[in-house]
Amino acid sequence: MSKKLQKISTLLCVAATISVGSAQGAELNFASWGGAYQNAIRESWLKPFSKETGIKVNEDTEPQVAKIRAMIDTQTVAWDVVTENGARLAKGVKLGVFEKITPDMVNQDHVIPGARHDYGVPSEIFSTLVGYSLKEFPNGKLQPKTFADFWNVEKFPGKRTMQDEPSTVIEAALIADGVAPTDVYKVLATPAGVDRAMKQIEKIKPYVAVWWKNGAEPVNALASGEVVMALGWNGRFQAGIDSKIPIKMSWDNVVNQVGYFALVKGAPNRDSGIKFLNYMIQPKAQAEFSKYIAYGPTTEKAIALIDEARIERLPSTPERLKAALFLDSEFWEQNGATLTERYNQVRAR
Amino acid sequence: MSTAVPLMPAPTAVMRARRHSRNKMAVLAALPLIVFLLLFFIGPIASFLREAFYADDQLSLANFQHLVNTPIYRIVLVNTLTIAAAVTVACVVISYPLAYLMATVGPRVAQILFFAVLLPFWSSALVRTTAWIALLGKNGPLNALLTTVGVVDEPIAFLYNFTGVMIGMTHVLMPFVVLPLYAAFRGMDGALTQAAQSLGARSLSIFRHVVLPLTSPGVVAGAIIVFMNAVGYYITPSLMGGPAQRMVAELISDNITKELNWGLAAALASVLLLAVILSLWLFNRLFGLDKLISGTSDKGSTAVSAQRTPGGRLSVVAGICAAVFLILPIIVVVPMSFGTSEFPIFPPPEYGLRWYTNFLEDSKWVNALWSSLKVGLIVTVFATVLGTTAALGVEKMSSRRKTWLDAFFIVPMSVPAILTGVALFYLTAPWGAVSNSVAVVIGHTVLAAPYVYITIRAALRSLDTNLELAALGLGASWPTMFRLVMLPALLPSLIGGAVFAFVTSFDDVVMALFLTTVRNRTLPKLMYEGIAHDFDPTVISASCILIAATALILLGRLAFGNKKVSTK
Repeated sequence: MSKKLQKISTLLCVAATISVGSAQGAELNFASWGGAYQNAIRESWLKPFSKETGIKVNEDTEPQVAKIRAMIDTQTVAWDVVTENGARLAKGVKLGVFEKITPDMVNQDHVIPGARHDYGVPSEIFSTLVGYSLKEFPNGKLQPKTFADFWNVEKFPGKRTMQDEPSTVIEAALIADGVAPTDVYKVLATPAGVDRAMKQIEKIKPYVAVWWKNGAEPVNALASGEVVMALGWNGRFQAGIDSKIPIKMSWDNVVNQVGYFALVKGAPNRDSGIKFLNYMIQPKAQAEFSKYIAYGPTTEKAIALIDEARIERLPSTPERLKAALFLDSEFWEQNGATLTERYNQVRAR
Repeated sequence: MSTAVPLMPAPTAVMRARRHSRNKMAVLAALPLIVFLLLFFIGPIASFLREAFYADDQLSLANFQHLVNTPIYRIVLVNTLTIAAAVTVACVVISYPLAYLMATVGPRVAQILFFAVLLPFWSSALVRTTAWIALLGKNGPLNALLTTVGVVDEPIAFLYNFTGVMIGMTHVLMPFVVLPLYAAFRGMDGALTQAAQSLGARSLSIFRHVVLPLTSPGVVAGAIIVFMNAVGYYITPSLMGGPAQRMVAELISDNITKELNWGLAAALASVLLLAVILSLWLFNRLFGLDKLISGTSDKGSTAVSAQRTPGGRLSVVAGICAAVFLILPIIVVVPMSFGTSEFPIFPPPEYGLRWYTNFLEDSKWVNALWSSLKVGLIVTVFATVLGTTAALGVEKMSSRRKTWLDAFFIVPMSVPAILTGVALFYLTAPWGAVSNSVAVVIGHTVLAAPYVYITIRAALRSLDTNLELAALGLGASWPTMFRLVMLPALLPSLIGGAVFAFVTSFDDVVMALFLTTVRNRTLPKLMYEGIAHDFDPTVISASCILIAATALILLGRLAFGNKKVSTK
């Protein structure tokens, strides 16, 4: 009996030491969206960061802003650094779930100006562009290149797929209608501009076979022949091309989006989080990321560190950046709800 | 049983006292589920729905005004009710021949059919839809077959429209009608159809005058489950339908997770709840819920005759078609799981074990499977106990109370899980219940208990109370009576209810997203991570492993349980 007790007490002691030990060692709780994206983050940043600093990284998924808000409300914040797109970041800022990132915390002077944000460190740039089936539009023949081509169903017949959410689609619709990329948000700020965009959606609607909901769908639909043309993300098209699916994409018109890493308010390991943000934004680390997924660095200093073959696959080359329109997350935070309602309404009929 | 109990007419006072104590027992039996739902459903949901009446922290009707003034919400509400009603009708119509077939074939074939019915449950909603999309696509196998045979010239657009939604939702929800209907067919006296037949009744008239009245309790229970469930559905319609088939639950979910407009989400949910209650009321008025379910006495099951009427033969063909419809996606999923491509191409250009290796090598999949099984089993026990006792209690109550409690127990089914999930997070996160799976068990029990309740309620309604009274009158104690009389009669429904409870837990993604962490996440949550933002083919292999496991259990039962079945 006493032996048993002794055993138990030893066990308890061991357990206590282990738990204290792990509490003392620095940790970082990181949450992203799973899949190939999070794999790339793990290989290029999380693993080397952990090795360099000795900080243990715990990964989680689905950092929905709604859940972060619920965690803060119930004082059960479990995450330190989360990854969000521009729209979710802006939403989170409005709800006060992210901490402001000052230059003292993370120096972002070298970051591409269009990508900077007060509440997030830009992690990568990805483009929405036209991808198409090489079976339908083979090399050497007429191929769709611009958003106007995407909307031109006489010149390029066949079914299309576009995103079920309005951001990037509305921008593309206006550019297809002849609006200069630099003027898109000026036009959208007026009711007439919104009507014009909605008319474009109405026009293309009968030719859209699939309104896609996740980034893998455009390539799946092109591969299965369900559609011949897609508005989708460059990284996904690239993954399809790399798996020998007969598709191609055109960089002539792009809407760029920036991915952000944000610090959750009340993060349990705030210091580790800030350390990680500083690590991830170094040009060297930025250059590393595109080895694993075809998304571009957020600092031009990283370009020099990437070989030419790889740079061809990325949205961040100087000339591509020059022609690109960056998604205005502030605009979408202000008008997203109303535009989504209109967008859904136009397509529901 | 040797001591004869004097069967004297009891004095009225004793009768009244007995009725009184029975009433008390009835309330006591229903109480656990009532309290459970009040604590973990009504309470949290009410505090969430309150947000509908606030805008900018002030009491206001702005959210409802917005719903009225923006046409999309009316369109979506009409869509939701239309789709839910159409799916309910489709499920009932397709289930009849299948359940009839299951009840009239030998036990071996019946078990194989059971397998077909339960199969859709074992592959997550996301995998099922992936399979349907591969199968029904413009250049998919089905269209290839139809155009080659020459049935159609142009490929049919099955997907991203109303047809797609109907196929996807009917496929998932049909088992909820088939199982109670099967129980009803088993309970039906085969001699009745034989008698009707020998008296010259034709198939259609046998169906109308014999089969329909005798099976209606099971059908009504199943139909209610399907309708209530369909109203709150969204993953399948969202992936297999187009913008014209958008349903309310999707907008509620978007407003909670994307827009973070919880006031609008709550307003939409209130409208949805109101519509559901109105539909129930209308259903009651039109079909007379009570009249339909009025207890038809169960004379025990005599095997239905081998002699089939022409209508019966037609039903068999239809039943086989229904079974094929249920298995169809699996025919696609199995070869797809052995592909090596990172894209769901059918048929796969190359075969290999790449994704199976991935499943077994990465401990997260096995951990998630284990966690899902654990949660599922605990939920099944809780839901079955809560649901069954509540059904037993309600059965003994006055009809006024019955109606109220029925509605109270049924309505939670149609509340989109995301709402309950968020509300429960607020309640349970401060206790640390999210990281130790208590929260997800509570959430799933809220989802699952109503299924058990409805199934058992329907079974009790068609149970002959005279048997019960006779046993009690002959001196059997209540537990003995329950064990010897009620339990055997209820067993098929009890198993059906437990299966519903288990699969409800096992298939849930939405609640798990909120109520688990990376350490105790369930398999569907992990599958969702692999498929929602990306496409990880490991998910398909995972589903196939589940299907294979089910098949093994079935084979085991066929091998070992054969004697038991045949002596029955």
